[in-house]
Amino acid sequence: MYEAKQTSREQAVGRRYFLQMTVLMTLYVGILFASVHALQSGNFSPLFTDLIGVTPALPMFGVVAAVIQFMLSIDELQRQVHLEALAIAAGVTAALAITYTFLEGVGLPHSQAWWAFVCIDAVWAISLPFVRRRYQ
Amino acid sequence: MKNRIRVLRAEHEWSQAEVAERLGIARQTINALETGKYAPSLPLAFKISKLFNLPVEQIFDPNSMEETA
Repeated sequence: MYEAKQTSREQAVGRRYFLQMTVLMTLYVGILFASVHALQSGNFSPLFTDLIGVTPALPMFGVVAAVIQFMLSIDELQRQVHLEALAIAAGVTAALAITYTFLEGVGLPHSQAWWAFVCIDAVWAISLPFVRRRYQ
Repeated sequence: MKNRIRVLRAEHEWSQAEVAERLGIARQTINALETGKYAPSLPLAFKISKLFNLPVEQIFDPNSMEETA
């Protein structure tokens, strides 16, 4: 008998998460370009400049909310798998951050913090199949 | 944790996907339960018990707990 890879609930959760992420990342790119354009072309007060400069971060809070909603929508084992992978990602990111902080101390250029977001996402995705294998 | 889910599923002629649909969980979770790689929470154990209409202790073997702990 044919075994569907995903149940209807999993498909619905996956579709919603994918849609939310697509909208939020599109929003992020749009706001980023708009804010850069505004800052280059306009003359704003320091406070308004700060506000325009920080607007691209707003969709990232939506990303956090979407991840939390996703975690609460999946079953207990899948949540455990994702949380274990996320713990590995947080640990690796923290280790890399502290390592680079020491390297900055000996003269390497100062890094911007945005890479931590990318690093957590990347290590989360890479470690997921390895964590999943433990339960197969 | 050892259990009789695979046997009970076969008796009902249900696929893993069908059981997963009925319990509202992923098919991989059913597979992990059947192979004893994952011990379910109490609420999930009771849902499984209700699905097969059997007491929890007739589905799960508490003596095998130390193997997965």
